[in-house]
Amino acid sequence: MNKEYDVCIIGSGAGGGPVALTLARAGYSIVILEKGPWFTEQDFYKDELACCRRSVYTPKLSEEQHMIEDTDSDGRWVAESTSDSGWDFWNGNLVGGSSNLMSGFFYRLKPEDFRLLSEFGPIKGANVVDWPISYEDLEPYYTLVETEVGVSGHFTDHPFAEPRSSKDFPYPATTEHPISGQFDKACHDLDLYSLPTPRAILSRAKGNRRSCEYSGFCGSYGCSSGAKGSSRAALLDQAVATGNCEIKPLCKVYKLSSDNTGKVVSADYYDVNKQKKSIRAKLFVVACQAIESSRLLLSSTGPKHPDGLANNTGQVGKNLLFSAGGAGSGDFDYADMDSESAAVMKTRGPFVNRGLQDWYFIDDPLFGGRVKGGTVDFLLRHPNAMSKAVNAKWDGDELVWGRALQTKLKSIFTSSQNLRYEIFCDWLPTDNCFVSLDESVKDKWGSPVAKVRIGYHQHDIEVGNYINERSMKVLSRMGAKNVRSSISGAPPANLVAGGCRFGHDPETSVLNADCRAHDVENLYVTDGSFMPTGGSVPYTWTIYANAFRVAEQIKEVLS
Amino acid sequence: MINQTGISRREFMTRLGLLGTLAISYPATALADRRQSNTNHQLPAWLEAPVWKTIAQVQETLFPAAEDIPGAGDIGAAMYLHKAIENPNADGEDRDFIFRGTGWLDELAQQRYTRNFIQLTDKEQEKIIMETVQTTAGRNWVSMLLTYILEALLCEPVYEGNPDGIGWSWLEHQPGYPTPATDKTWDQLLQRRA
Repeated sequence: MNKEYDVCIIGSGAGGGPVALTLARAGYSIVILEKGPWFTEQDFYKDELACCRRSVYTPKLSEEQHMIEDTDSDGRWVAESTSDSGWDFWNGNLVGGSSNLMSGFFYRLKPEDFRLLSEFGPIKGANVVDWPISYEDLEPYYTLVETEVGVSGHFTDHPFAEPRSSKDFPYPATTEHPISGQFDKACHDLDLYSLPTPRAILSRAKGNRRSCEYSGFCGSYGCSSGAKGSSRAALLDQAVATGNCEIKPLCKVYKLSSDNTGKVVSADYYDVNKQKKSIRAKLFVVACQAIESSRLLLSSTGPKHPDGLANNTGQVGKNLLFSAGGAGSGDFDYADMDSESAAVMKTRGPFVNRGLQDWYFIDDPLFGGRVKGGTVDFLLRHPNAMSKAVNAKWDGDELVWGRALQTKLKSIFTSSQNLRYEIFCDWLPTDNCFVSLDESVKDKWGSPVAKVRIGYHQHDIEVGNYINERSMKVLSRMGAKNVRSSISGAPPANLVAGGCRFGHDPETSVLNADCRAHDVENLYVTDGSFMPTGGSVPYTWTIYANAFRVAEQIKEVLS
Repeated sequence: MINQTGISRREFMTRLGLLGTLAISYPATALADRRQSNTNHQLPAWLEAPVWKTIAQVQETLFPAAEDIPGAGDIGAAMYLHKAIENPNADGEDRDFIFRGTGWLDELAQQRYTRNFIQLTDKEQEKIIMETVQTTAGRNWVSMLLTYILEALLCEPVYEGNPDGIGWSWLEHQPGYPTPATDKTWDQLLQRRA
């Protein structure tokens, strides 16, 4: 152990990047310990094998797994290893984290999301609370993200718009697919507000980052132009350029050691050569994504923290959240179009960029009053070809092969365009969705893995069904065939938050309003873990904004 | 703006548009030309090994060629599979399972026809595959081979499948860009995790 840094950040994704940049600019010495490798634009190609079929951006499940606890047919909780099920809960272990691989659908929360309990009242079986901060507290940082990360879009005033301190987005909307016009018309006919979706994708160059080049392969892929607003491209490259921020890739932190006063004194990690090392700092920031942040804290016992760091009231890992709801899709058959329209419909590259928030709040007698609803985002089917083809080899439990498979492939690939939607509901926090340690299962470093119980509240399904019925009508109105959908309580592993909720009461929260641990004076958590409720949108913009907000608090503390 | 490949975005969009138009129907003549030009190519020595001869024949049964459909040989299915499973970064379990499966297949062929799989007629080979997929292990084995065939059909040509984008053309699939260089394949990138 040599140098003592001002701040040590564990994890380099959307929760770590804003803190690193803000504090490095202010002249503080920062070190980031990142478990994954440091890839850059020169390493990202539109290669489905690398992105999605081999463990390039995520660990091998045989070496690092999660234990997922779900109910069996008798309603008992049963844990299964992801190395057995193949259900991967890793989202991107590389410098910049999973923000490298996001689609960048960027939505702010709305003022009501910060006071869910006050606004909608309690729901039996759910741990709904108000946030300790308001929308107004976070708004300046949402705006800051628009310029720092780079958010493109076109603001339209509408009944569900959240207040903004700036008039419009700093970057114009990315180029849109012709199907967006058809969507607008259908929404108009149905008396719905077609909302342009803001994207964390540059529509023109910013510094060293080029504009989007519209390859059509965005979500799940690293961005080779730098247009996608990953923590790495948008923030960390700048942080490193200050000379005050050092990134150590391939360093896996297994414990935060604390002293007799309860303060964190070191981050203990395995380096690239699998040697145990430690780093000292005045202040530590955990941002490993929700599940792994809780896991690290629970693993970090110390004299004042016998049950894990910041866990003296047993709250670490509790109230895990997912941004879920369901999905649907419909086909637009080329055979029903003239050749020119079909060619237009086949366009690859531009984005749909449309969503609906007409049911963000639902006031319907069906629910016995006003309840929280969700967002619906519309997008073209993911262009990944191999996964589409490999799915085609099955017909139920039967294998399809030979000429039958080839005929099926030809039809799937060439007969229609597919528009889909994803519903984001406000996943209710419950006692059945949390992270704990599984002492019986170790990762390749010998550390207990995270066990994740993935229970959901039935209310989420009811809200999902309500929104889904209405979303399907949009596709039908557009003329889509074979409109189908699925609503389930299965958590999308890539949209996760909670586990270290912030709040005023140490008995029911892990962090205070500044995202500092109630019982550890030099420990902050700045990924999505802090969220006590998730809103009805993907989390990334809120994580970025909050991390910029907390960075300002840390700056004050350090000064 | 010029991207790393030296092609302007406008030009690239135009090319993609052209690709979309040209690929509406994969021309049988292109496939015939390709097959003609490949007849003089010398096959790699490893493909002469019995196990690989069997694998290549199974692949052709699972993904047969037709006048206007690229078959397993056209898409380089054996070349791709060899590169994929002989790769030191690959999952060795797949290699072992695939090799073991050829033994089971020959055993079954011997039981039914007293000949090895590659000595059977097309119809007999189909019957053996149909019987193979009735068992769980057999279904898993064929499923794994199909996965690798479909990867070969649609992979970046740098992986030695999908030569000249033949699979993309057949399925009118517009690939993304940039495409990976030989030193940026998944196994090269994977070594950066080590």
